[in-house]
Amino acid sequence: MAEIRAEEQTLAISKTFLIKPKLKPKARTLPQTPESKYWSSFKSTQIPNLISSISSLSFSPSPPHPFAAAYSASVSLFSPLSLSDGDVSPSSTISSFSDVVSSISFRSDGLLLAASDLSGLVQVFDVKSRTPLRRLRSHTRPVRFVKYPVLDKLHLLSGGDDAVVKFWDVAGESVVLDLMGHKDYVRCGDCSPVSPDLFVTGSYDHTVKVWDVRVEDSRSVLEVNHGKPVEDVIYLPSGGLIATAGGNSVKIWDLIGGGRMVHSMESHNKTVTSICVGRIRKENCGDESMEDRILSVGLDGYMKVFDYGNMKVTHSMRFPAPLMSVGFSPDCRTRVIGTSNGIIFAGRRKGKENVESGGGGNVLGFESISEPERRGLRPTYFRYFHRGQSEKPVEGDYLVMRNKKVKLAEHDKLLKKFRHKDALVSVLNKKNRENVVAVMEELVTRKKLLKCVSNLDADELGLLLTFLSKNATMPRYSSLLMGLTEKVIEMRAEDIRSSDPLKGHIRNLKRSIEEELRIQHSLQEIQGIISPLLRIAGRR
Amino acid sequence: MMMRGGRSLVSSPPAFSNDAKKLLVCTSNTVSVFSTATGLQITSLEGHTALVTSVVVVPPSSPAAKVLCYCWTASLDGTIRYWDFSVPELMKTIDIRVPIFNMVIPSFLDIPAVDKGKHQDLFAYVFTEDTKETQEKTKALRRQIRKCNLSKSRLVGRLILGETKKPEVLTVSPSGKFFGIRNKCKLHIWKVPDQGSEHAAVRKITLHHTKKITVIAFHPTQRVIAAGDVTGRILTWRGFGNIAFAENQKLINIQEDKPGVRDNDDADSCSTWHWHSAEVNVLSFSSDGAYLYSGGKEGVLVVWQLDTGKKKFLPRIGSPLLYFIDSPDPTLSAISCADNQIHLLKMPSMGILKTISGIKTPCCYPEMCKGLGNGIAFDQTAGLVALRTENYCIQFYSLFDDRGISEVHVCERNHQPGDDVTVIVTAVALSVDGSLMSTSEVKLAEEGIGGLVCLKFWQAGSQNKEFSLSTIVYDPHRDAGISAVTFHPSGNMVVSSSFGGDFKIWRCNNDIIQNDQMHQNFSWTCHAVGSYKKRPMTAAAFSADGSVLAVAAETLITLWNPYKNVLLAVLGETLTPIVNLSFLGKSDNLAAASCGSNPQLSVWSMSKLSLSWSYKLCIEAVASAVDSSSFAALALLPESSNETTFKGRDGVILLYNATNPVPTAIWSVKKAKGGALGFLQVNPSSVEEVDGKTPEVLLAYMSGDHEYVVFDPYCKDAHEVSISQKEGLSSLELKGQGGQYGYASIYGELPEFDKKSPETPWVPSFPSERPWETIFSGSSHNLPPLTKLCSAFLESLLEKRTAAVE
Repeated sequence: MAEIRAEEQTLAISKTFLIKPKLKPKARTLPQTPESKYWSSFKSTQIPNLISSISSLSFSPSPPHPFAAAYSASVSLFSPLSLSDGDVSPSSTISSFSDVVSSISFRSDGLLLAASDLSGLVQVFDVKSRTPLRRLRSHTRPVRFVKYPVLDKLHLLSGGDDAVVKFWDVAGESVVLDLMGHKDYVRCGDCSPVSPDLFVTGSYDHTVKVWDVRVEDSRSVLEVNHGKPVEDVIYLPSGGLIATAGGNSVKIWDLIGGGRMVHSMESHNKTVTSICVGRIRKENCGDESMEDRILSVGLDGYMKVFDYGNMKVTHSMRFPAPLMSVGFSPDCRTRVIGTSNGIIFAGRRKGKENVESGGGGNVLGFESISEPERRGLRPTYFRYFHRGQSEKPVEGDYLVMRNKKVKLAEHDKLLKKFRHKDALVSVLNKKNRENVVAVMEELVTRKKLLKCVSNLDADELGLLLTFLSKNATMPRYSSLLMGLTEKVIEMRAEDIRSSDPLKGHIRNLKRSIEEELRIQHSLQEIQGIISPLLRIAGRR
Repeated sequence: MMMRGGRSLVSSPPAFSNDAKKLLVCTSNTVSVFSTATGLQITSLEGHTALVTSVVVVPPSSPAAKVLCYCWTASLDGTIRYWDFSVPELMKTIDIRVPIFNMVIPSFLDIPAVDKGKHQDLFAYVFTEDTKETQEKTKALRRQIRKCNLSKSRLVGRLILGETKKPEVLTVSPSGKFFGIRNKCKLHIWKVPDQGSEHAAVRKITLHHTKKITVIAFHPTQRVIAAGDVTGRILTWRGFGNIAFAENQKLINIQEDKPGVRDNDDADSCSTWHWHSAEVNVLSFSSDGAYLYSGGKEGVLVVWQLDTGKKKFLPRIGSPLLYFIDSPDPTLSAISCADNQIHLLKMPSMGILKTISGIKTPCCYPEMCKGLGNGIAFDQTAGLVALRTENYCIQFYSLFDDRGISEVHVCERNHQPGDDVTVIVTAVALSVDGSLMSTSEVKLAEEGIGGLVCLKFWQAGSQNKEFSLSTIVYDPHRDAGISAVTFHPSGNMVVSSSFGGDFKIWRCNNDIIQNDQMHQNFSWTCHAVGSYKKRPMTAAAFSADGSVLAVAAETLITLWNPYKNVLLAVLGETLTPIVNLSFLGKSDNLAAASCGSNPQLSVWSMSKLSLSWSYKLCIEAVASAVDSSSFAALALLPESSNETTFKGRDGVILLYNATNPVPTAIWSVKKAKGGALGFLQVNPSSVEEVDGKTPEVLLAYMSGDHEYVVFDPYCKDAHEVSISQKEGLSSLELKGQGGQYGYASIYGELPEFDKKSPETPWVPSFPSERPWETIFSGSSHNLPPLTKLCSAFLESLLEKRTAAVE
């Protein structure tokens, strides 16, 4: 039983207005779509200082979905949970490789990890102990990709520069099938999400071949020509479509329709190096549904999100380096991108922990731990007296809103008390120049700015001069700050002369002004060059 | 039909009815009765012919009589009237023939119920002006306090209680035993004689202070009087008049020390509180006498605990307080503010329950910002006027309902009365449909730094004129001020012209975001910039179809294509800069008003690109009807014109047809300086029909202090008034502007303007109040019985006749 004290509605004549900086002009671009909002909601953290380029990224299918990154001759495992805490050090590193690791793949239960390297060796590790359990050696040239089938725990697929695709029996360390057919390096491959027998491989001979282990004499069942050396190929979750990346384009093929090209996405400017499937939660008309997207990264430093339902690029993000690999966690909360210079851009999204991947499944199986039964509250308990206070309102409850308390910054509080100089000093100490300018503008409206300046003592004057020397030439603030600088120097000339640190500030100020003058001069020169051209162009 | 409104609600203190459900407010010639529950007007008492100065509600003699609604009103027209304001009905009129500045009726406050049967005479004390004795008396002491026998309807003999230079406010003690006035640094207190006899000696004491006293208040039960002075001090005398007003005339003249009391005044002690920084305007004891309310120029209501001197505040009311009225209901009281608002307070907590919102008073700005327009925009379709107020708001006021609709806070600042004005709302413009608004504001620089001009675009919410900000543009024309802002008729384009020599066209991009409900999001971007020979752009207007934009470049008019930003033509030259441009409805004419040493109203033909005709008139405002070719101009009369001929009216409204230089109608008006004109479209539901047809269009005139009148400019009786004055106008004006446009050759035959022409047969032609029109107005359940109405109706007609004879 809740007691509600209804206050009669009373009106306020005056409100509290915070001192806010002037609004910035918005970029004249399209407003953010919900989709791009989703993709930019991944809070990005950098994992720096990995050696060489990140050749491969793989997520474990089992929660909490740690991911492995292959770089140089080592593989590091990262936990996404520690990422959200800002910890960027790997949780463990496997470095028992003799050559550069080219590809890694988790088994469907996330307990084993397969890694291939350029020495032609494929190794299978226990993720926990990091010990190599199996060493699969058969490739004669560097291995470029290794893949665990989605629905099969016993076999492994690999391909390499010897143009042979091998289907392994992991337990026996033996090759089950040697699949010949590619005429150039095999660079990539993927296993069907719906069938344990089907998989595709892509090669530098521009072709993507679909294989079926059940087919006799190990011939490919289907072949599509991408037109460019294929860098990456993936199955889309339906199992009927594949996406191939090569050159500047990503192409989508319909396998069931006999290898027909559905669409070609050509929005990258350089070679697309890696693609993966990303998922977005759509909320239309109340119900939630997941939609799949293709994330593609390229050497041009862009990550593009492609909606293959509508055949549109819905989002694109720029990174400051060529991108080599991309991965998206099955719980839709982590997105990692590896660059060619050893940085991983890991994006982590806030959200509920219970978003389960489709293919993952709970391995451990004791998810429903029965909660201990709650004991009823009795007046002897302390909590009895607090009962119901943190109750959430039920739908249909009438909410009596408490007026939101206005949060006042320190300078706001001081301005409310008319302690103008203190407000100016406090905001100068805070180092937020927009707020400083806003407080100065407020002081101008109160006609107190110059009074404040004349009241500042030597230290505070130094603070102000530091601020001015840094910001007086900023075009956004210069209209106010240039005039103020002039006044400050005029008013406090004697104090400045008598103090050495202040003289130093003045020197800095002079330097920045001189630099600005130089810039203005060169700009005027450019204007002088351009304006006759414009005049001529306008005459046409 | 004719509607007046925008009257001051705060000219005199209001009064609560006995059940505290109604509030009686003096509004110029009438007393308006407001409901305290809704804050809306219920009815009004009409009958006085001059400003009503006091209203006194008759208190109930017994609890059962609480429902009775009788009141006395006094007015400058020299009458005291007795009303039943529930009906409302005039019961009695007492004509004392001298203007009454103030009236108090102390005696019924202490008449016990038993005495009712004896029929005591009721006395009022009135503050009047002596109009007769001007010869022998110095003019200085003409304001007198007199006693008036209300029961016998006459002033009491030659009894003059006191005389002062200026009309002062009589204050009566709640017990009805004393009343007093302030007089400079002195305080005069009279004791009301117990017996109801006419010439009973009225005893008086005087208390002294060193500062000018502004307001006094009596304690409800004790002999305590509080007074506020100009420096903000509050003095409290306790036990005043112990000697002079002693019941038994025995002298108890013991020289004890009287702390704080000056000059051997007749009081026990005097204490001083000082919190207010400026003069105290409001002083009132609570009904139990435990608290004292005070307020003043700084707009803070202070509650003093009388015994301890502890204070509680209702701060930031934002306007000087004028009156504080306690109601019979202890949880309700009212404060009147100088910005024409009456706030109803919920008492112990002092929250504002309701606001009776009158039209806000015009704001006074420093001299340098004059000539930036009057900041008044009319919403033609809804019959609203948007006007800027002192507290950085735009107030929307319904002209038809005579009440404030809403306020839009334009600048994120609170107004504090007495502060230096540093931020000024300079212009306000409304789109034709009233859904969009654009305002501009100026932040004044402090010694040359930090000045800022802002242009803001607002969009209306779904209802009730709740505007929300859509776009801010800082310094739209670099640091130059904005001279005019005008909406395109379609509403998706705005032009702002600046003194800095350019104008900008802003276009609206509206993205309709479809989340829960349709939500339109407008954003405004600069579409084009134009300038003409770097001349300051002083005014701008769009044509009715929006295809032509006229921008005044000082003395020239430039015509532009607003879509392509192409200069189409440049029109003529006036002598002084143009301040107002207006396309005349659908006709192809453009009216330009210029001010300065050579004011001019000129009408330009768009088809011929030449001057059609012009007058040498100082134009304050121009309004054109949307779909007819007529327009109205508010002209200021020259200072030299004789005051007596216009009886204080300093302006005329001239109604023209665009093609015809002879005005079709003329009205003379008061306080035209700073006034505004606007045509309103008629919404049939809001306007009552006259002669079975509704007027096509209405003209609203708002005077310099925001009183307004709405009338039908084509109404017949308005015509009759104007026809008789045609000759008057022709002798006043009509002068061609030199020969350079060949104008004089066409209009050369018109009579020359002669300022010294003695015969200006101007008759004050503003239609007088016609009670026979208003008597039957209002809803039928509010009307008195027909028998009463008929007599009043006939009476009013009779009065009219006699007036005509005079």
